[in-house]
Amino acid sequence: MKKTHVIAIVIIAVAIGLITVSLGNASTYGNFAEAFDNPDSKIQVVGYFNKEKELVYEPEVDPNLMSFYMTDKEGKECKVVLNQSKPQDFERSEEIVLKGKAVGEEFHATDMLMKCPSKYNDGNQKVYTD
Amino acid sequence: MEYIGEHLWAGQLGNLFVIISFVAALLSTYSYLRSAKEKEEHKDSWRDLGRLGFRIHSIGVIGAVGMLFFMLMNNYFEYHYIWQHSSKSLPLRYVFSAFWEGQEGSFILWSFWHVILGNLLIRSAKNWESTVMTVFTSVQIFLTSMILGVVIFDYKLGSNPFTILLREHPEFQNIPLFSSANYLEKLDGRGLNPLLQNYWMTIHPPTLFLGFASTLVPFAYAIAGLWKRDYQGWIKPVLPWTIFGVMILGIGILMGGAWAYEALSFGGFWAWDPVENASLVPWITFVGALHVMHVQKTRGNAAPTTFAMTIFTFILVLYSTFLTRSGILGESSVHAFTDLGMYGHLLSYLMFFFALGLTMFFINLKKFPKAEDDAFSSREFWMFVGTLVLALSAIHITIMTSKPVINLLFGTKMALDIGAQERFDIYHSFQIPVVIVITCMIAFTQFLKYKKSDGKAIFRKLTISSLSALIITGVFVFAFDYANPYYILMLFSAMFAITGNIEYLVRILKGNINKAGSSIAHIGFALIMLGALLSTSKSIVISENSSSIDLESLGDIKNNENILLYQNDTVKLENYYVTFIGKRKEGVNIFYDVEYMKKVDGDYITEFSLSPRIQLNPRMGNVAEPDTRHFLYKDIYTHVTYADLSMPKDTDPEKYGELATREMKVGESFFTSNFKYQLDSVFVNNKVSIDSLNDSTRIEVIAQFSVIDKIGNISKASPMYVIENIDAGKVLSMPHELEEAGVILSLNKIIPSENKYEISVREKNSVKKDFMVMKAIQFPMINILWIGCLLFMAGCIIAMINRMQANK
Repeated sequence: MKKTHVIAIVIIAVAIGLITVSLGNASTYGNFAEAFDNPDSKIQVVGYFNKEKELVYEPEVDPNLMSFYMTDKEGKECKVVLNQSKPQDFERSEEIVLKGKAVGEEFHATDMLMKCPSKYNDGNQKVYTD
Repeated sequence: MEYIGEHLWAGQLGNLFVIISFVAALLSTYSYLRSAKEKEEHKDSWRDLGRLGFRIHSIGVIGAVGMLFFMLMNNYFEYHYIWQHSSKSLPLRYVFSAFWEGQEGSFILWSFWHVILGNLLIRSAKNWESTVMTVFTSVQIFLTSMILGVVIFDYKLGSNPFTILLREHPEFQNIPLFSSANYLEKLDGRGLNPLLQNYWMTIHPPTLFLGFASTLVPFAYAIAGLWKRDYQGWIKPVLPWTIFGVMILGIGILMGGAWAYEALSFGGFWAWDPVENASLVPWITFVGALHVMHVQKTRGNAAPTTFAMTIFTFILVLYSTFLTRSGILGESSVHAFTDLGMYGHLLSYLMFFFALGLTMFFINLKKFPKAEDDAFSSREFWMFVGTLVLALSAIHITIMTSKPVINLLFGTKMALDIGAQERFDIYHSFQIPVVIVITCMIAFTQFLKYKKSDGKAIFRKLTISSLSALIITGVFVFAFDYANPYYILMLFSAMFAITGNIEYLVRILKGNINKAGSSIAHIGFALIMLGALLSTSKSIVISENSSSIDLESLGDIKNNENILLYQNDTVKLENYYVTFIGKRKEGVNIFYDVEYMKKVDGDYITEFSLSPRIQLNPRMGNVAEPDTRHFLYKDIYTHVTYADLSMPKDTDPEKYGELATREMKVGESFFTSNFKYQLDSVFVNNKVSIDSLNDSTRIEVIAQFSVIDKIGNISKASPMYVIENIDAGKVLSMPHELEEAGVILSLNKIIPSENKYEISVREKNSVKKDFMVMKAIQFPMINILWIGCLLFMAGCIIAMINRMQANK
């Protein structure tokens, strides 16, 4: 066997090991029910911002904290506490992804991604006229 | 109905160009294929026909480019694509961004670059022309089919920007607007995404697509080499193309980083976003391919690796196209294109060339020349190992980015991480060791000779550069207070790559600029890595939280990166004293002027001002754009995360503003932008006993408030709620005005059932202060990264010219 082959096999084996480990550590998509069943694990939940219910963001109190209600894709609603400032046009968001975990009755999120009409997505189609 | 003012001829002409380009690509491919056959009698006539086909194809593509620009510039909103990506108010300089914002436009752009490269290839390919161009034009068949937009057996093949009229688009058919014949007079376009209204977006996409396009030339040559069983001859002509591609694709990716750094709000130039990754991966394998090409050229024993890396580079470009355009990334990326339902079409494009490459490779597998074992001290051995490491780096990023694909195939539910810190952890744990290994190899491999070199001599040659790298690393570790061993190792390896190549330039090449291309490009790359390391690992969020809330109560979620600034208040951020001066509205932008000051002998002296802005866009959503102050050694980045968007009206500062009413219990408090209001207690002042209640009984309910300003001064207020006459129900509220503070507090109502009190507050206009929430980050040494980009580009150009001259 050639030297290069031995080295190649060793490097590839190590890499496969590392990749498997990091894939195993990947967070998973889930819903609120799963988050409350596993309160220790971080989970990503996709859902919709409930525009009817209270949204609290008081920068005077804490510029890095907002809370609102989100309904996940299974239809379960939960109060969300997000440790971030309120993004521009949050109210217009159509779909949001939250990353966090269940704490008591609330879902405490550290990160949020919004799908807005402001992104590349077309969102709500309206024809504008002058 | 006859509609007035529509320019149907423009779409018809554009569509004609698209059809011409597609049919001509078919013709050209077939002719080149005939010409490439071994036993074809009329080789030259078929080749000439192939050329003619490609020329016609070129006219078609360039015509389509011209028509789309023409329609965009003249606001032909009757076309869905024009309506979707432009508007009357769009400045002309953004017409380019609008052109390639959508999938259709970017496919046309991509075809356009192929046309340019293809015509150059016809001039330079000589006896490789027929085989190479067969592959090349077959790619063009697929690309132009993406914008064909014809329906075959209920399947819509591609999406054609010239044939889809807004009024015929399924989503708009029943809109009342289209019942009037002159609807165009009232119609305005939806407009360009405000994030893309940035000069980087004018140059980043075309550069990136030129980079993508340039991976096709080596791919076409590689397939031709396998086809003709010539494993060696294709290397020489393909080298300058490959260097060009590595340069353009690299610059294109970095331009995307520059755009993100300047226009996006995530605070950085690289976020390991799936779309960013999808363009980085082909660049990594392209670099690997370039290096094994050199081994193959000199030693002829690296054919399998060279073919595999070259073919995979192009396949990965197609895979990246599939990821970003098929909709499979879903909600995990902000960059992905709008899904046009071309999933199957894109997949077939990817699979066809994947199958072609794989088949050609395995047919030839047994025929590749047997190679002897490379010596440990040979240059090719280390170039081979380096290429392997690059391939692994690419595999890691590809797998981590492909989680949605893995989920689809295996039914797993792995999430593409949306957290910036988690992304850094995932990718950096693997890629930082890769960079350490690669930069070390960059440092010493050039000193090695092909076949075999004298190990001891190499060590001696490397003494100066390794020692000086060690010293400079020590200085950086000390200056930036590094403790993380990975970072220190990466610092050293990057330094070593720089010093090693400088030494090679000076001692071995004796400053011969013609041969210096690779050394300069390697120094550039090492500087990019060094700048990325310093600016990312030592970036400081200087806008720390100042809130009165105890963050500990939130458990392990703690983010205090945003700070609240009141107008004209000065807050200390790291080394600066920062004041929010005020906001001003200019057109669609609201600028928030922030002054950064230094304290010199007790006086505040303004160092610089920044004006981050919020672009108002009622149609697409408001967008915040940062403002960054560039210094030689650092950047100060400032970004509005939250602010009041309404502009203040001219009001009398002595008048009281609007009434704010709320219900609260004893012990509760609330904030306005100026004060904290705390309800300390409520008591009833009733001097009369129940027995003697009569008409004139007066009951006073007194609420005691502490009004605390931001410095902590407490004033007491006691508004009253007076019941003058119980039977007659005569009640009145007696507000309490704190004149000095400029506050009126009143107790309006008692809600006994909930044990609550309704209170209201009015503050003087002079008291009410505007505020903004912002984030400020200091990026040290980011200029090293940009200098690295320039050197990398310069090195590539020198190397490319050198290779082109060698081929003459």
